[in-house]
Amino acid sequence: MIRGIWLAALASLAMAETPTRPTLSIATWGGAYEAVQREVLFDPFTAQTGIAIETEAYTGGLDVLDDSPPDLVDMSMVETLAACDAGDLKTLDHSLLMDGADGTPARQDFAPGALQPCSVAHTVYATVIAYDSRAFPGRRPSRVADLFNLDDFPGPRALQASPYANLEWALMSYGVPRRELYDLLSTPRGLRLAFERLDRLDGQVRWWRAGQTPVEWLESGQVVMASGYNGRFFSARLDGDSPIEILWDGQLQERQTWVIPKGATHPDAALDFIRFATTTERMAAIANRIAYGPTRLSASSRIGRHPEAGFDMRPHIPTHPYNSTTAIRKDVLWYARTYQRVLQRFEAWREE
Amino acid sequence: MSESKGVTVRLAEQRILQLAKVTGLGVAVGVVGAVLANLFVAGIGWLNDVLLISPRSRMMQTDSRWIVAATLVVPALGGLIVGLLHRGIAEGRAHGPAEVIAAVQTRRGRLPARPAVLSTLSSLVSLGSGASVGQYGPLVYLGGSVGSIGARLLRTDITVDNIAIACGVAAAISTVFNAPIAGILFAHELILRHFALRAFAPVAVASIAGYVVANAVLPQPPLFQIDPTPVLHLWEYGLFMVLGVASALVAVVYMQSIFAMGRFAGRLPLPRVLKPAVAGAVLGLTALWVPEILGIGSETLRFAFIEGAFGRGELVLVLVLKLLATAWCLGMGFSGGVFSPALVIGSLFGALFGTLIGTVTGATSDLVVYAVCGMVAVTAPVIGAPLTAVIIIFELTGNYELTIAALASVALANLVASLLVGRSFFDRQLRQRGLDLSGGRSKALLVSRTIDSLTRDSFVSVAADASVAQARSAMAKAEASEAYLVDASDRYQGKVTLQALVEQEADRPAQAFKAVDDFVMDAHTTLWDAMQLLRQFVGESVPVVGRDHTLEGTVYESNLIRAYLDIMSEMRREEYAND
Repeated sequence: MIRGIWLAALASLAMAETPTRPTLSIATWGGAYEAVQREVLFDPFTAQTGIAIETEAYTGGLDVLDDSPPDLVDMSMVETLAACDAGDLKTLDHSLLMDGADGTPARQDFAPGALQPCSVAHTVYATVIAYDSRAFPGRRPSRVADLFNLDDFPGPRALQASPYANLEWALMSYGVPRRELYDLLSTPRGLRLAFERLDRLDGQVRWWRAGQTPVEWLESGQVVMASGYNGRFFSARLDGDSPIEILWDGQLQERQTWVIPKGATHPDAALDFIRFATTTERMAAIANRIAYGPTRLSASSRIGRHPEAGFDMRPHIPTHPYNSTTAIRKDVLWYARTYQRVLQRFEAWREE
Repeated sequence: MSESKGVTVRLAEQRILQLAKVTGLGVAVGVVGAVLANLFVAGIGWLNDVLLISPRSRMMQTDSRWIVAATLVVPALGGLIVGLLHRGIAEGRAHGPAEVIAAVQTRRGRLPARPAVLSTLSSLVSLGSGASVGQYGPLVYLGGSVGSIGARLLRTDITVDNIAIACGVAAAISTVFNAPIAGILFAHELILRHFALRAFAPVAVASIAGYVVANAVLPQPPLFQIDPTPVLHLWEYGLFMVLGVASALVAVVYMQSIFAMGRFAGRLPLPRVLKPAVAGAVLGLTALWVPEILGIGSETLRFAFIEGAFGRGELVLVLVLKLLATAWCLGMGFSGGVFSPALVIGSLFGALFGTLIGTVTGATSDLVVYAVCGMVAVTAPVIGAPLTAVIIIFELTGNYELTIAALASVALANLVASLLVGRSFFDRQLRQRGLDLSGGRSKALLVSRTIDSLTRDSFVSVAADASVAQARSAMAKAEASEAYLVDASDRYQGKVTLQALVEQEADRPAQAFKAVDDFVMDAHTTLWDAMQLLRQFVGESVPVVGRDHTLEGTVYESNLIRAYLDIMSEMRREEYAND
């Protein structure tokens, strides 16, 4: 009830302030993910406020903040922290966030660390290893080390053209415990070992940048194993009889955030959008359609069945206990400070 | 009849009350010990991050000049603080597990609060600023101190104090390794050195309390995680035993290096307070070249478990430098343990052995198995607790094969090292400080007590030039059978007995009939020495003399024997009684 009044007031406010009805530009990730965002967030927001939303393709990185940036970016936590440190993002007043649907104040409703000075985390996603079940009719890959095992699991792999997950998995395949990965990657010896392990895949790797690519390559049989975002693989399976199987061992968890670039043209409308998109109801609606976990506790308890497919979504979320026993938490603070250097090493290695 | 029944009931009540008190103390000591142990470990991690010692914090520092500066300055500055802290301790150095062992073995020492606080702080600073020392020694000492202080708050007797110390030690080990059985075993194997049900119950309770705190209240993984790894061939168990003997020699070199460095540091013409700072400066300088020697070395320990992480030459280099760095830091007065560096050195040595064997024999088990065996076989002789070391592996891995491999490697290791150095690093330390535990606990107890409290002044003394008659009448008056001869300035000149004088002419000098086998003791004579003396002694009392041979009193043989029997029965009661 109160929420309704709020939104109505918000809508009228937006219209009163901007008689020309601005168009909000959002940089986001395309494919199945953006389709869900369009359905659950963008169109309803436009319907309520009259503010149209146009999207621009984004595959990560900080270049998006240069020149005329969009009004909002759906950015990964690592890049958010780095960009915030660099002063490229607007600081956010978290008191603008709505309380949870159960009345929990926003600050307590969000998971610890989800609210940062420049950002509001909205989903938990995982980079996972997936494989083409047609390629392995006998023994199937079951652990991270199998990604590097060309003897038992031959065939081309698709990996992200970034250090993310690749270095972690390489080291993990030596038997390094999850919580020591970043300590060892901080030493020249650890990095060397990781690259040596990746060398094993020499000539068998195809590099992807956009999140939808590994899905397509797996489905078309161009690769037999691939890293990728768990929600994309999930959606692929949802659409039909896809051969893709997810291997949850060593899933790399991270959060996606909403940020407003310093140079945004419509910062106020962007704030309105963040408030709209991070309510308990919207977060739960997203999680019911694509297998990413919400960052609000009140939303987690509302995850239920997929509206069309009708099955329980909970077992498909990265944070579900079945899936997360060997999950790696991406050390976002580490990456925020080291990403450029690690990327340089990674690129130098790729060119070898 | 009814009265004696009432006494029995009251006795039973007392026993139950006592049991409840000791168990309650066990829980309390366990919880407090576990929380402090966790805070200690977290504190080290935090300091390592803030002070740019940990590889992760160094990697995250974008400006490399800061790293160089921190490497050079932090250990030196930490050393300075450590030196200053140690000025507040009577011995001028940190206390550690040796003090805990001595306190329990001699049933004498309680662990005082002041050195406990100062030593814990100085080890926190040492470890936080990157000194190459261990963290478990300080934790054992911290746990023991918590126990002793807790027992004192409850005004318990010395036996309960000892049990409480063991409780604290067990809780600390249980917490940081997530290994409650190892905690219990460690407290028995190293600290108590006997097995009494009355001690087992509270120690087990404390160990479990530590485990619960580590898992439920402050959930944290064990300090070192090892994945289960299979042993491929049965003949490899033979290799593990060989590796064990070789590792024991490494342990001997390691311990002797620490002692040698201590002697070297003692001869350095430097004020004691500055020595750790100098050590830190040298360490920092060397770490610019080989950063692996800084700090606890968790990353190096992990790499030792990975095939191909080190070349063979590198293995030897890092092993030797880590050994020297640890000996250097400990010898120069940094505060910390010997266990964690031994883990690193041992696993590096095991890895080296495994690589060499792998080249010679072809396919062997994973390097992990050899690294584990080396790790256990170097640390077990150092801490003098072979069973604990094996059980830690069992509790960390839950893997039986790996545990048996570890057992094979320690089978001979402790024996070999004990022949060359002693039962443990700590026993050797104590021996150097005058407490020899190699003769068992009864000897330790007797050595730690002097005859001072048994000295009486009820003796007969006569002038050295007294006649036989004078001496006889003096003895008769006092109803004594012995008299001490003293000169004008009260110096002891010998002893005469009534039997010797009884048939002699009255006016001859008594001196002529002095007892031949004449023994004296002084106030510092230990009960142990006194008992040794009694073997050759005939008579009823032994004179006690002070400086210049002045006669100060006498000790009756009967009192000596009574004291001996009291101590032995006290010890037996502590070690065997169930209540």
